[in-house]
Amino acid sequence: MFQDDEKEMEKIKHAEENWRKNLLEKRVERFNLAKSPTTFYSPAALTKHDFMEKVGFPGEYPFTAGNNPFDFWRAFAEDAAKMGYRPDWGGAGKVGKYGGFGTPADYRDYLFRMQSMGRKGGPNIAFDLATQCGYDPDSARAIGEIGRVGVSVASFRDFQIIYEAYTGDLDIDKVPSNFTINAPAAVIIAMYAVLAKKRGIPLEHLAGTPQNDILKEFIARGTYIFPPRQSMRLFRDICAFCVGHMPRLNINSIGGYHIREAGASRVQDLAFSLANGKAYIQAGLEAGLEVDAFAPRFTFNAFGGSMEMYQEIAFQRAARRMWARMLKEEFGAKDKRSMIIRQPITAHIGCSSTTLNRPLNNLARAVVGGLAAGMSGGMPGVYPPFDEPLGLGHSQEAVQLQLDATRIMIYEAKVADVNDPWAGSYFMESLTDEIETDALAEMKKIDDMGGAVAAIESGYMQRAVARSAYERQKQIERQETFLVGVNCFTGENEITVNVNREVEATYDPELMKTAEERQKAALAQLKQERDDKAVSGALATLKGHAADPDKNLMPGICDCVEQEATLQEICDVLREVFGEAEPVKL
Amino acid sequence: MNQEHKIRVLVAKPGLDGHERGARVVAYGLRDAGFEVIYTGLRQTPGQIAKAAVDEDVDVIGLSILSGAHLLLTREVINNLRELEADDIIVLVGGVVPENDFSELKEMGVTEIFTSGTPISAIAETIQNTTAARRNAS
Repeated sequence: MFQDDEKEMEKIKHAEENWRKNLLEKRVERFNLAKSPTTFYSPAALTKHDFMEKVGFPGEYPFTAGNNPFDFWRAFAEDAAKMGYRPDWGGAGKVGKYGGFGTPADYRDYLFRMQSMGRKGGPNIAFDLATQCGYDPDSARAIGEIGRVGVSVASFRDFQIIYEAYTGDLDIDKVPSNFTINAPAAVIIAMYAVLAKKRGIPLEHLAGTPQNDILKEFIARGTYIFPPRQSMRLFRDICAFCVGHMPRLNINSIGGYHIREAGASRVQDLAFSLANGKAYIQAGLEAGLEVDAFAPRFTFNAFGGSMEMYQEIAFQRAARRMWARMLKEEFGAKDKRSMIIRQPITAHIGCSSTTLNRPLNNLARAVVGGLAAGMSGGMPGVYPPFDEPLGLGHSQEAVQLQLDATRIMIYEAKVADVNDPWAGSYFMESLTDEIETDALAEMKKIDDMGGAVAAIESGYMQRAVARSAYERQKQIERQETFLVGVNCFTGENEITVNVNREVEATYDPELMKTAEERQKAALAQLKQERDDKAVSGALATLKGHAADPDKNLMPGICDCVEQEATLQEICDVLREVFGEAEPVKL
Repeated sequence: MNQEHKIRVLVAKPGLDGHERGARVVAYGLRDAGFEVIYTGLRQTPGQIAKAAVDEDVDVIGLSILSGAHLLLTREVINNLRELEADDIIVLVGGVVPENDFSELKEMGVTEIFTSGTPISAIAETIQNTTAARRNAS
């Protein structure tokens, strides 16, 4: 800093001191408050701010101001408006709408119908809970779950049936596939690889993203199968297999979103998801790979969000800087693509910020999240639709309002015309530093425990999240935090505003009712028709590989898939060797 | 004689649904409200839940379900309780439950349904009132 600057700073500090004493404190006294209800940040809050070190230009290290000078979607925003593009319809070469229900044939027929209406995205598959937890439709653990929250995939045959909707212009070398699958991700990726083989498509042409973020399942989402350490063995093998054979396939989609929704604080969300990311990097290195060979193929689903707009903007800025610094300084990455957080959306409010009381208010809430996203390097995406807490399935009306709100922010409010509009703000830079410092301290704590895997094995992360969720509930019940229409402004003069709501009959309820029986019958038929000897041979080989930590499990899993072993049979063989994860007690 | 008897509550997650926030928060909250709380953890079958309720001699079961499978899973739990001759245990349901399903749940024997936004104090009050009524009746 120049001498003149230093003198100037002294003047400001002095003025701030006087202001505090003469104005602020007197006002606090006058209203009989314990402390000021507002804050104000002057340059004195940010004396050592180095722009190049802390912010940098958009698309340059440390990426605080954004991943790119401007994003892909922004380049074509005007064209999109003129052609009336609807993102929920998907488009050729793009990721399609997330969905899945019933049997594979039910879902395939649904996809055909959507395609005839112009929705032409790639597969973006939601799997039912039985599939996600590694149980076949005939398992006693799967009762009531088949085809409910997603499509049931018990075998390669099932997988193939879904993909009957993706041929020709939509073949798997032309559109990417997204799989929301974690514990059995290796099996689904193997199915994708075997499908390519059967269709004569080179594996290196396959694109897409498996969620494959098992660590957050232990902390938040709950669809784990094997213990954490053994799950990371599977991750290591997937990572090596993808780098070696499927270089266009993203390796994972790391989610902080689920962790925050489960109740984590902002700092826990940031620290835990980056600690998970770090564990995945270490697994890739353990597989003998160079960091730049796989880190560019890591993606992020989204971090969690809240209604606190300023904090969420600072969060996104801190997250980008922390990840970039960790990759460069700790892991020696040289490729810029290793250092950036690739995520489809940045800030948002999170579904847990929506309320069942006076639900149309959720539109106002989601707009705040969209504003935070637009001001922190993302599309000002308004999410979720206002009827999110009313049960599974959004109405057409809610989706229309959500889409239009995003468009209003882009085209009318021009929210996304400036990169990192808060850069240099005394307040925002201070807040970004603060969140980064707190999250780094929490990450250090996890490092000292032995990293994310150890912190999950001991139950530390799970309990920390549960405690935070409970603390928040207590704050709400004590009115230490306010939720409009929930714990305040609930008097008799307030009214509930309703809009006509036509829930899209997304999935045929009659098919849903019979899916379980039909899928059990299909499984029984498969077990009759396949070559049992080949199946047990492939499973035995896989079991041998599982017992040898130096072996990559992917080729063996591909073989089991090709011989039509079921998802549960493959998982059971691994369960026998790896054991099963235990739920954490409070 | 039962002045000292603490009301015992089993908080349970039936099926494969992994959304655990509500169950954990309610378990902590009811514990702090003075109840004896047992939390099953994730992925319990209806049979396991009914058996745990009997083994632990609970007064109340709170089922937390956010997967949409609430009708089937709740019915299974209640059938299992009946088989164990324990259908006097009060059953509460919490989670994402559409209002349209309330009457069917109540017909199968559910005492109350709690959805998002419910304060724990309201759940505690329901438990106090219904268990008191149950004791007076027996």
